[in-house]
Amino acid sequence: MKRVIIGNHAVSIGAQLARVDVIAAYPITPQTGIVEELAELCAHGDLEAKFVKVESEHSAMASCIGASAGGSRAFTATSSQGLALMHEVLHWASGARLPIVMAEVNRALAPAWSIWSEQTDSLAQRDTGWLQLYCESNQEVLDTTVQAFKIAERVKLPTMIVLDAFFLSHTSESVEVPEQADVDDFLPPYEPAVRMNVDDPHAFGSLVTPDAYYEFRHKIQQGFDEAKDAIDEVGHEYGKRFGRFYGQVEAYRTDDADVVLVTASTITSTARDVVDERRAHGEKVGLLKIRAFRPFPFEAVRAALLGVPKVAVIDRNLSFGHHGIFHAELKSALYGQPQAPTIFGCVAGLGGRDITPDTIHQIVDIAQTSDEPTEEPYWIGLKQAEAVATNGRSR
Amino acid sequence: MSDATHPNGMPLMPMTSGNTRGNKTGSWRFLRPIYSDATAACRAGCPNVNDIQSAMRLLADGDLDRAWESLIWENPFPAITGRVCHHPCEDVCNRAKFDDALGIHSVERFLGDHALREAKRVPKLRELQSTSVAVIGAGPAGLACAYHLARLGHGVTIYEADDEPGGVLRYGIPNYRLPKDILEGEIERVLDLGVRLVTDTRLGEGLQWDELKVFDAMFVATGLGRSRRLDVPGDGLQGVHDGLEFLRTLNTGGTIDVGQRVAVIGGGNTAMDVARSARRLGAEVDVFYRRSRDEMPAIADEIEEALEEDVEIHTLLSPVAIHGDDRVASIELVRMRLGEPDDSGRRRPIPIEGDTLTREVEAVITAIGEGPDFSFLPETMETDWNVITVDDVGRTRDPSVWAGGDVVAQPHTVVDALASGKRAAMAIDRMFDDVDPRVIREEARLGRANGLSMRRYVQGAATGVDPERVVDYDEVNPNYFPHKQRTPTTKRNGYHDIADDFEEVELGFIDSFAQREAERCFNCGTCTECDNCFVFCPDFAVLRTGDPDHPYRIDTDYCKGCGICAHECPRGAIRLELEEKAVAQV
Repeated sequence: MKRVIIGNHAVSIGAQLARVDVIAAYPITPQTGIVEELAELCAHGDLEAKFVKVESEHSAMASCIGASAGGSRAFTATSSQGLALMHEVLHWASGARLPIVMAEVNRALAPAWSIWSEQTDSLAQRDTGWLQLYCESNQEVLDTTVQAFKIAERVKLPTMIVLDAFFLSHTSESVEVPEQADVDDFLPPYEPAVRMNVDDPHAFGSLVTPDAYYEFRHKIQQGFDEAKDAIDEVGHEYGKRFGRFYGQVEAYRTDDADVVLVTASTITSTARDVVDERRAHGEKVGLLKIRAFRPFPFEAVRAALLGVPKVAVIDRNLSFGHHGIFHAELKSALYGQPQAPTIFGCVAGLGGRDITPDTIHQIVDIAQTSDEPTEEPYWIGLKQAEAVATNGRSR
Repeated sequence: MSDATHPNGMPLMPMTSGNTRGNKTGSWRFLRPIYSDATAACRAGCPNVNDIQSAMRLLADGDLDRAWESLIWENPFPAITGRVCHHPCEDVCNRAKFDDALGIHSVERFLGDHALREAKRVPKLRELQSTSVAVIGAGPAGLACAYHLARLGHGVTIYEADDEPGGVLRYGIPNYRLPKDILEGEIERVLDLGVRLVTDTRLGEGLQWDELKVFDAMFVATGLGRSRRLDVPGDGLQGVHDGLEFLRTLNTGGTIDVGQRVAVIGGGNTAMDVARSARRLGAEVDVFYRRSRDEMPAIADEIEEALEEDVEIHTLLSPVAIHGDDRVASIELVRMRLGEPDDSGRRRPIPIEGDTLTREVEAVITAIGEGPDFSFLPETMETDWNVITVDDVGRTRDPSVWAGGDVVAQPHTVVDALASGKRAAMAIDRMFDDVDPRVIREEARLGRANGLSMRRYVQGAATGVDPERVVDYDEVNPNYFPHKQRTPTTKRNGYHDIADDFEEVELGFIDSFAQREAERCFNCGTCTECDNCFVFCPDFAVLRTGDPDHPYRIDTDYCKGCGICAHECPRGAIRLELEEKAVAQV
């Protein structure tokens, strides 16, 4: 059934279709709509889940950890400062191999105070041991939410579904909502490998000497390796059942391309239009959408980009003193590879500033007209100080 | 487990391969949580230690019968005290520190009325024995003593000077506060226990002290029958009435012509009853009280209702003379000021010489205090001023004679009278066992004051209530309670025209509201099986037992004594005790 829904509700409905058992969440703009909708669904009996009100995001994740350890399918959602507050327990969730699913609405971190979209909040949690899947549309948000449980439970690692603040969270789109029975077939009830049981008590997460800690970390790394296949296979299985296929990456008109744009999230949709427009003018421009950031899709990226002369990465995020984070990751994946492309790193749209077709055209122009990239990231549309002072935060 | 186990034998996640039951973390404990239902502040604040906490819980669960039964362990007259008690329980209700005190008296009244409507009987606790006790006076103290003695299996005969039982409840309190059918219904239940009532028999007149020697014990509760006189010039004029007599006349169906304008002298409950009754006779009423409003002994609700009925209250005025030829024509009063506190702790009123005023009135009704009539007492009975000397369980110098109510040194309230009757009943019961009656002070004690519980006296430890521990507000965890205003009761609208209308003013709760009010109760000190301890225990050391009397058990093998259960108990039903090993180390 097609429904016109905002991205936040696409998450909520996805969680509902996945029949989550426990939801523990704390509200934060722009995520609030997700948990409001889930609270309503619980209150009206449309979702048989325990909705736990908590006093912070730290507690939200702690509750999910408890619920998941007890064998429940646990879900939460957050954004920005809330995610930052969760940081400590994010490690715990992955270290304990708990397949918790969290929707994370990309929002810039303060100060300057902002509620608008930026990817730095989720990317800053890069090393916490969570899978991260970036979504382009509300349809992908719903589909990825359902898939995330299957992927997470298969590899026993927590998974983050990432969507842009406002561009998705608060924007209505037409979304095909699958039938519950079909989702039930696709996603059977969670069967934990280890279920915490008060009648057979064990100590969990207890002290481990250097003799064993190293091996536990290795197991997690193995889990991430398995996750690459899991993401592709689950995405394929989903496609066969529901008609929409997903993988770690999506290459768009990259064959024979001279310049390939690399994007994640909603920037992808805009870039797709720019690619079509350039192609219409006979320019060989392509696009690689990164859906899985963790695990990083080394093989898929190499398959798509080795042999391409130039690549331009658009990062709505920044690692200060370095580069945009997708840019840096991409370089590490391609370093030393034969026929590795020249890579242009462009930072754009921080704090939710629009990334328009014009912005992307500028980036394509830079890649086409430059032989070598600058050492520093390209700042697209950076205003001079006077202009900022007189024009305020937006033009 | 197999799924989680790695080929090299390591689990997927860090966890012990073996069961951790062998690690008895309870050995770390220095504090031990103990489930112990305690006495709620309201109950401890009731002179008769009425089991408010149980009644509230049972009513909240919709069990009206058992809620009432928990009340009548201590109090034979819930419908009466629900109407006329000054409810000190509500003054100390922990909820008062949160939003509004619980409407305890309204709930009590509701349950009392329910039992009357259903004609419920009181079960006896023991079969009738050969013992016999004479109770002198069928007021609240005497009736309470008879009630408890009869329940305990003793033969009781009440001698009453008037022609009907009830004492001050019948003759002093007007019908609009305590309807006669309510009074009679509750007294009937006492008599149904096999209590013999002999009316129209005044000790010292139709009945002599020595005739009562045939009884094994005697309880004297003759009350205060004589009003204090005004003792000013003109106090013998026609139209000067004694307040108690005035009320008695109205309460026995008579009437008195008080004219159009009445002065009432006094500031106690009798003064308020007189004033409001005089309003119902059609008069305009001025109350004159010699101290200030703060010192008025009448209960606040009574004062408020009197004011609502257009009774005028004038303070710091004291009568000096009543003028008139043979009938009252006016009253002259002197203005007072307040000096240093007197023996009663209240500031002493001092006349301001020459500052007088005169008010034209057709009647003056006095209500300035009452005294006992001890003319019937033998000389061996020791009295001090206007009270009979008794020990701390109500026993007089004569070891077979007990006294209670307003003739002993205690507050002149209905609830104190009921408590003194119950105390004597227990003490007499102990005497029949050839045990020092004063043991009841330990056996039945509840709370911090002198409260004695019949239920504890009979059931002992089986009541499951810790008699020592009183749960005050600091032991309540208010985070678990939503704010909720006191549930309203209904009052009859008729203040604008109350002439000849002695029907009850306060109508209590409409039915569903009583349960709603009971649901507001914090249930201080009473486990309601809310599961907070079970949920919050970080060590799974709180176990559900399935036994409704003891719903939880602490698994001391694993309880580390963190105290979270006690802290998160919303109602102080868990206490923490130092472990002995900790005491040894201190």
